[in-house]
Amino acid sequence: MTTDTIVALATPAGVGATALIRLSGPEAGGILQGLAPELEGLPEPRRATLATLRDPEDGEVLDRALVTWFPGPDSYTGEDVVELSTHGGWWTPAQVVDVCRALGARGAEAGEFTRRAYLHGKLDLLQVEAVADLVDSRSSALHRAATETLDGGLSRRIGSLREGLVALEARLAHHLDFPEEDDAPVPLEEVARQAKQLEDEVRALLATAPEGVLLREGAVTVLAGPPNAGKSALYNALVGERRALVTEVPGTTRDALESVVELGGYPFRLVDTAGLRETEDRVERLGIEVAWEALGRADLVLYCREWGDDSAVPPELRDELGDVLLVPVRTKADRAGDEVRGPHNERTQGEVWVSAESGEGLDGLRDRLVHLVFGGLVRARGEPVLTRRRQVEALRAAAEQVGAFAGALGDGVPADVAATHLGAAGSHLEELVGIVTVNDVLDVVFASFCIGK
Amino acid sequence: MSQRYGVVVVGGGHAGTEAAAAAARAGVRTLLVTPDLGRLGQMSCNPAIGGVAKGMVAREVDALGGVMGRATDASRIQFRMLNRSKGPAVWSPRAQCDRAAYPLAVRRILEELPELEFFQGMVDGLLVEHGCARGVRTRGGREITAECVVVTAGTFLRGRIHVGGEAGRGAGRAGEAPSIELAEGLEGLGLEVARFKTGTPPRVDGRSVDLSRLQRQDGDADFPDYRFAHYVQEVLPEQRPCWITWTGEELRRVVHENLERSALHGGAISGEGPRYCPSIEDKVVRFPDAPRHQVFLEPEGLETEELYVNGLSTSLPADVQEDFLRTLPGLEEVVMTRVGYAIEYDYFPPHQLRHTLELRAVPGLFLAGQVNGTTGYEEAAGQGIVAGINAALRVRREDPWVFERDEAYLGVLVDDLVTRGVDEPYRLFTSRAEFRLLLRQDNAVTRLGPAARDRGLLTSSQVKALTRRLAEEERVRVWLDGARLSPTEATPVLEAAESALLEQTTPAAELVKRPGVGLAALHQAAGAPEVEASQEAWRSVEVEAKYAGYVAIERERAARLREKADFRLGEGLAYGDFDTLSVEARQKLDRMRPDNLAQAGRIPGVSPADLQNLVMEVRRMRRRPAVQASEEASGVPEPVETAAE
Repeated sequence: MTTDTIVALATPAGVGATALIRLSGPEAGGILQGLAPELEGLPEPRRATLATLRDPEDGEVLDRALVTWFPGPDSYTGEDVVELSTHGGWWTPAQVVDVCRALGARGAEAGEFTRRAYLHGKLDLLQVEAVADLVDSRSSALHRAATETLDGGLSRRIGSLREGLVALEARLAHHLDFPEEDDAPVPLEEVARQAKQLEDEVRALLATAPEGVLLREGAVTVLAGPPNAGKSALYNALVGERRALVTEVPGTTRDALESVVELGGYPFRLVDTAGLRETEDRVERLGIEVAWEALGRADLVLYCREWGDDSAVPPELRDELGDVLLVPVRTKADRAGDEVRGPHNERTQGEVWVSAESGEGLDGLRDRLVHLVFGGLVRARGEPVLTRRRQVEALRAAAEQVGAFAGALGDGVPADVAATHLGAAGSHLEELVGIVTVNDVLDVVFASFCIGK
Repeated sequence: MSQRYGVVVVGGGHAGTEAAAAAARAGVRTLLVTPDLGRLGQMSCNPAIGGVAKGMVAREVDALGGVMGRATDASRIQFRMLNRSKGPAVWSPRAQCDRAAYPLAVRRILEELPELEFFQGMVDGLLVEHGCARGVRTRGGREITAECVVVTAGTFLRGRIHVGGEAGRGAGRAGEAPSIELAEGLEGLGLEVARFKTGTPPRVDGRSVDLSRLQRQDGDADFPDYRFAHYVQEVLPEQRPCWITWTGEELRRVVHENLERSALHGGAISGEGPRYCPSIEDKVVRFPDAPRHQVFLEPEGLETEELYVNGLSTSLPADVQEDFLRTLPGLEEVVMTRVGYAIEYDYFPPHQLRHTLELRAVPGLFLAGQVNGTTGYEEAAGQGIVAGINAALRVRREDPWVFERDEAYLGVLVDDLVTRGVDEPYRLFTSRAEFRLLLRQDNAVTRLGPAARDRGLLTSSQVKALTRRLAEEERVRVWLDGARLSPTEATPVLEAAESALLEQTTPAAELVKRPGVGLAALHQAAGAPEVEASQEAWRSVEVEAKYAGYVAIERERAARLREKADFRLGEGLAYGDFDTLSVEARQKLDRMRPDNLAQAGRIPGVSPADLQNLVMEVRRMRRRPAVQASEEASGVPEPVETAAE
């Protein structure tokens, strides 16, 4: 039984100087020959070759393109694959795709190429997610994490966790399957200790998760503070383009502005908000409500005050934020004299001095933000990182089960009963790399793909 | 005697007797053919039944109406509940048996069955017609026809015995002839054949052993009435102790010096042996750092002083055996009565079987026991009863009974054999079961009894006993569901268990979850009216209540596995054509022919991606009605899928 052949434009339609069209399936080679009759057979595998693409209907030239032939199974999907680099724009790529269809290919569904790669064992589920991360990556850090996972780093780590679990089950098997009258019993304290250790290993990987998930989604960083504290100026300085309207009139920013920026290689979602104050202005009040809404989902808050502003952080803001970090920022530093800024000034200790005007302190602020939000990742560079809530949930469940096993042993629950937890932990880890799924987990994973990948 | 039977069973060991009895209980006219009717249910190795995982199987066989449990009760001369320091899932009953009394009990129990006949003879050929089993031929040319044949030839197929220093000689057991023609006949059907080996230790005269220098091991005093059997109460014989001693440096020296004279180590035997039951040669070579190994001297019976030396299986020459025996403390003057030996024999790699133990290639022909690459009386008996039941169901034109992995150790055993195959003689461990907590010795009867009854596999007296037992558990449960204890009532029980005292009235179902708190004790403390139930019924309900949370987790996992088991793979799937599967997976699936997706997933070499592709291929095939029609005509069944969707 054979599969059909799929085709899709892998680059965004309409933009870009070149476009990439991908074919995968048993007919890919035949379609290439139909498209490029002058090639006389298939080009040398894995080598970009210049070819004239023609519509076989009327022989009309569609484009001059670079074509590459990847015979299966040594291809991305594991099937025969053809890649066509054509000129970009709206017309040419669409024409070529249409002709491919006429020659027997079917338009690919979202994520179908990667799905085929998974189905042919080219990628495991974690690697599939890494592909999506790569496509989506807007920061070098996410790119690095995704590359590491695609390379199998995360899968290897999960694999070694599974081995740890199997080793634990083996110790237990020895304990349970050889009665007391036999030689050399296994001390259960030792088994419990190993379980704790395994739980710690799982939790260490889990510890990358909050930052890893932020790596994918960007850390929501809200600029808040009293009106006219220079939030929008700082926002613009960090974003690097003038997006927020900056005036000397307090209360200028009415809506929350949001930009994804890469600071020091890590993704942040900067949100500029309206200054917090009591006001009669209805529009401004709406803006302040939006600001509170943004603060509610903040991962980090830059609380901005200009130098000389002696107001305290409003207690209701402290309440709203809970555990969320608040970084006090002194803006308009260029206007302050040296005497108020030094470390000897107790009142402003721990505050970051910046000036959007002169650029002073911006590098320090960037470093501080990266350190605060992604410090763990910076220290663990090169280690596998969890970037998906699905991964986090499965691992957390596994850690809980392994911990529950150790705890149950400690509480005097018989080992054979406590072992139930190990079985459950194993199921969670298997789910993670895609062993137990029939379709449900897969559907979740593949639903987040765009066509052509 | 008419020569037409529903089922004919070849062999009268633990597999053969269970297969024959199961078929006869199912109301099918059955014949058991064996070379020596005086040795039905012979214990060819150690004189004990049960142990970890094995004890559970013995109870499952009994719950299905089998022979082994009763014969054990009737001949047990020591009983121990192993693993009592561990939890309920691994409590494992084990009995030392009187080697002479056991086969007598087996014969008596078999002769209760009106549908079962016996014939002493050596089967030397199979009758096969149109590719289906039609019966057997005994030496001398007698032909016996039957709809199904169950072969349980143990270690007899081209068996060869080895004792160091002598040339190997053909034998099925010491002093008994091997079965060569039958082995050739089976091979002639195109079956794949392989060789395994196993060994036995020497035996000694107890009168020559200084027992005062050995450690005495008595049976458990607090299980005076424990019985393997659920339905019939045999009279328990008197008890005997076992004796424990240890090997030392001296024994290691003797074995080492003579290693090249060992048949096992000298290269005379090629087959694979069991790693978990190593010979003393293996122990000395593989564990050079172990200062000593435990040796059990087990009584052979009430009427003899002979002792079985468990732990010293060997194929060294007889003189060396006597030498190393005499290095053991207390055995300095020992007289050896029987020589230990190694035996190698044919087995048929079990991937050739269906989960009913019927050969895929020969409808109507079933294989059970050591011929399938297993070791152990209990593993043999378990397969025997599975084969006997399914042969009978086939004769009755009814659906087979495939045991699931969450239903019985029998299910684990058969599924392991069929989907994973064997590379050393297979024995059960509790660790082979992923749902250990569900497969306990105390609930074997509730797991399997009702299903056996509903399929008409129990005798009427067994059904009566089952009904009684189920009613007992029900009464305990009814009391438990409504019972609440006041702080005053609960105090004595909780104090005894060193558990925190109550402040308010609390359900018994909560209290029983506390460590050390027993259900019967709570019942007594509550001053509730007497509940008529056996100790075992109390115990079984107690375990389910005590570990209810854990049992629920296992049931939930088992349910998920069953979802995959519900995704059926048709019998005739052309795995070779499934291009999306890896080449290895295609070959393995084609060879193993799993019934469903859960089985496919357990086959080594079938990756998660392969499994996924398999689902797609099967679904795609189902969506092609035109092709499907012709495939159905050629016998390809429609794959059924339900919850797996």
